[in-house]
Amino acid sequence: MGGYAGQFLQIDLTAGTITKLPLDKAFARNHIGGLGFSAELFLEHIKNKPHFDAYAPENPFIVMTGPLTGIPLNGAARWTVCAKSPLTGFWGDANVGGYFGAELKCAGYDGMIITGAAPSPVYIYIHDELVELRDASQYWGLDTYTVNDRLLADLGVDAKHQGHTLSIGPAGEGLVRFAALIHNKGHAAGRTGLGAVWGSKKLKAIYVCGSGKVKPAHPARLKQLRGELKDLYAESIGIAAMRATGTVTHMDVGIISGDIPIKNWNQTDWDQINELGPAAIEEKIHAGHRTCFGCGVACKKDARVPGGPFKMEKGPAPEYETVAVFGTMCLNPSIESVAKANEICNRMGMDTISCGATIAFAIECFEHGLIRAADTDGLQLAWGNSEAIIALTEKIGKKEGIGAVLAEGSARAAAHFGGQAADFLTTVKGLEAPMHDPRNAHGFGLAYGVSPRGACHEASLTFEVEGGTFYLPDLPGLTAELPPGSQDRAQLNVVCQDYGMVFSHCAVFCNLGGMPLTATRTVEILNCVTGFDYTLEELLAIGRRLWLLKRGITGLFGARRKDDQLPKKLMQPLPEGPTAGSTPDMELMLAEFYKIRGLTEDGVPTPVTLAANRLEQLAELFKQA
Amino acid sequence: MGLFANSEDFEKVIVGFFNLVAETPEVADKLLASKLVIRFNYHDPEVVVVVDCSQEKIQVRSGDKEAQAIVEMSMSADIAHKFWFGKVNLTMALARRQMIAKGPVPKILKLLPAIRPTYTMYPRYLDTSGHSNYNVH
Repeated sequence: MGGYAGQFLQIDLTAGTITKLPLDKAFARNHIGGLGFSAELFLEHIKNKPHFDAYAPENPFIVMTGPLTGIPLNGAARWTVCAKSPLTGFWGDANVGGYFGAELKCAGYDGMIITGAAPSPVYIYIHDELVELRDASQYWGLDTYTVNDRLLADLGVDAKHQGHTLSIGPAGEGLVRFAALIHNKGHAAGRTGLGAVWGSKKLKAIYVCGSGKVKPAHPARLKQLRGELKDLYAESIGIAAMRATGTVTHMDVGIISGDIPIKNWNQTDWDQINELGPAAIEEKIHAGHRTCFGCGVACKKDARVPGGPFKMEKGPAPEYETVAVFGTMCLNPSIESVAKANEICNRMGMDTISCGATIAFAIECFEHGLIRAADTDGLQLAWGNSEAIIALTEKIGKKEGIGAVLAEGSARAAAHFGGQAADFLTTVKGLEAPMHDPRNAHGFGLAYGVSPRGACHEASLTFEVEGGTFYLPDLPGLTAELPPGSQDRAQLNVVCQDYGMVFSHCAVFCNLGGMPLTATRTVEILNCVTGFDYTLEELLAIGRRLWLLKRGITGLFGARRKDDQLPKKLMQPLPEGPTAGSTPDMELMLAEFYKIRGLTEDGVPTPVTLAANRLEQLAELFKQA
Repeated sequence: MGLFANSEDFEKVIVGFFNLVAETPEVADKLLASKLVIRFNYHDPEVVVVVDCSQEKIQVRSGDKEAQAIVEMSMSADIAHKFWFGKVNLTMALARRQMIAKGPVPKILKLLPAIRPTYTMYPRYLDTSGHSNYNVH
C-alpha cells in the first residue's frame, strides 16, 4: 500500500493523552482518505452521543490527508479538516492547501483525531516520532502571523527545514462562529467556522515537522505519468490563466455570464468592476507568486500595499472569492482595502466569504434603517465605504460592539436585528453563499441547497462541471450538453457529488490544480500512488457512500427539506443583465434530486438507501432519533 | 448545419462588426493598447479574419493567412456568433476546445474587460446593418 503514512494520532485534550493508531489496509481501500476517513471516524466518535453543541468537548475535530498529499504532483497538496460546525450546527468541513498536510505525512501520520478540551491553552508539537502537548499560554491572544513567527523562533528550528504551523487567531479564541484555521500565513481552512472549535478546545496551534517521504506504490509508473500530464497541463488555458493571474481571472470571466454577485446579490453588473479585476490587481497590489507543496501551477499570489490607509506588507493576496465578497458585494472599488480586509481575516483567523458576506448584509440592513450609526460606534455602513468595511472587519474579529452581533454569522444577526433583515440573507443552512450566482447556472442553486455543509460551491464538482472548468466526457451519467434552465440539474448534481467526493474530498485533489484531469486520469493516478486496483465504478460507489454519510450526519443534527431551500435574495429575479428574469426552479430540482438520491420527501436518506450503501450504523442512529 | 449558410454571409457579418469595433473608441483604444495581432480562424463556414491592433488604427483584414499573428483563435462561426452576444460560457468553451486560443494567455485575458461593451453592440449592429435575421442566439 503506497501513499499512506500508515498511522493516525488520537489526541485527547481533556486527558492530555496521545495515542498512535495504525491505518488498516481495508479501511484505506474502502474510504480512500481525506474526508472519506474523517466522516467514518467522526461517526464512530459521536455514535453514542450524537447530540452535542459544537463547542462541547465531545465535538471531534479531525485533520486528515489523502493518499496523494505529500506526493510532488500538480494539484495534490491539499488536506482536510472536519467537525460539527459552530456556524451551522451541521456537518462542517474545510479543504486547504499549502504544506501542512505534506509535512504531516512526512512526519509519519495520515491524520489526527482531536477530542476533549484542554483546561488551558495548548499547542500540539509534532516532530516525527515525538508528539507532545505543550503550553500555549504565551501565544494566546496573538494573531496567526505573529504566532507562526514566534512559534518557529521559540522552537529554534533551522530555516532549511523549519516545519509548518496551523493556528487560530483572536477570532477563533473568541468563538467568532466563522473563525478559520490558518496554515503558515494565509492558507485558510475557512468555511464553517472550525477555528472556533479549536477556540473552545483551547487549542492554539499545531507545529509539524517531518523528515520522511511519502512513497507511491509504483514510482516508475508515476514518473511516466508525470511526463504524460506535463503536455496536458501545457495545453490547458485554464491552468495558464491560474498561473498568470490566479483565481481572480474569474473577475473578467464571471462578469460576462452574471456569475459575480454585486451589491449583496442585487446586481450582476457594475461600472467599476475593472477596479477589482486582474489588471488592476497587477498594477496596484501584485507582489509575486506562491504555490503549494509539489504544485507547478502556482495559482496563489502575493500582494503589497505600500502606503495609504490600507497599507500592508507583502503577504498573501486576496483570491477571487475574497475580492468579490469584500469588493463587488459591498460596492467597494478599492482593491487596496480588499487586500487589507484579506490580511485582517488571515491574521484574526476568519473565513473571508462569511465575513465579507456578513458585512454586505449589514450594509443592506444599514441602508434600510435596521442598523443605525448609533449601533456601529459611528461607522457609516454605506455601500463602497472602504474605511468602514475595514473597521467593521476588525470589530468582528475582536467581537467589539456591533462586531459581536455579526460575529455570530449573518443568520443569527438577522434574528437579532429583526424586521426585514432576513430578506437580506444569502445563507443556506446558516452558511453564507460563495460568490457564484445560481441565477446564472441553476445547478449551483441545487448544489448550495443540498450540500451537507450549507451553501458551498466546493461540496461537489457541480460548480466546476456546469461552470465549465472541468470537462469529464468519461464520467458516466453526465449529459453532454445541458439544456438551459433547471432541467437535468438533479442528475448533474448527483454525478458531480459522487465524483467530487472521490476527487477533492478523499484523494484529495485541488479543484484548481487538478482541472485538466479526466476521471480516467484520476483513477490512474490513485492506483499508481496507492497500489490498489480501483475501477471508476468502485470509486464512484465510495463517493456516493461518503456523500450520503455526510448528508446523513447533517440529517442527524436536524437538517430537513426546509434547510435545502435557497434564501429569498438568491431567488429574486433581476430585471436586467445576463441573468435577467432567471431563477432556479428549486422545487423541480429538489423533487428530482431526492428521487435519484434515494432521500425521503423530507430530505433524509431512506433506510433502503442507507442499507444499499453499507450505512447500517447511520440507519440505526436515525431510528433512535 | 450552422446558423450561417455560407462563408460570404458570415464574412459580411463578422468583418462588418469588427470594423464597427475598430471605430468605437471605448473599445478600440484598449485593443490598440494591447498591440496584439489576432487571427480568427472560423469554421462551418470557413472564414479567416485578422484584427491587427499593432498599428495606429485597428486594421481588419479578411482572408489574411500570411500575417504573423501573436494570437490565433479558432472556433466555429456559431460559437463566435454566440460569443459576441456574451452568451458563450468561455471557460467551458475553452476546456472543451470549442474555442482554441494560442498565444500569450495573460495578454489574451487582458482583452476580456476591453471587449465587454461589444456584447451589447453586437445585437444592435445586426439590427442596424441589415443582418437582423441573425439577431438570434
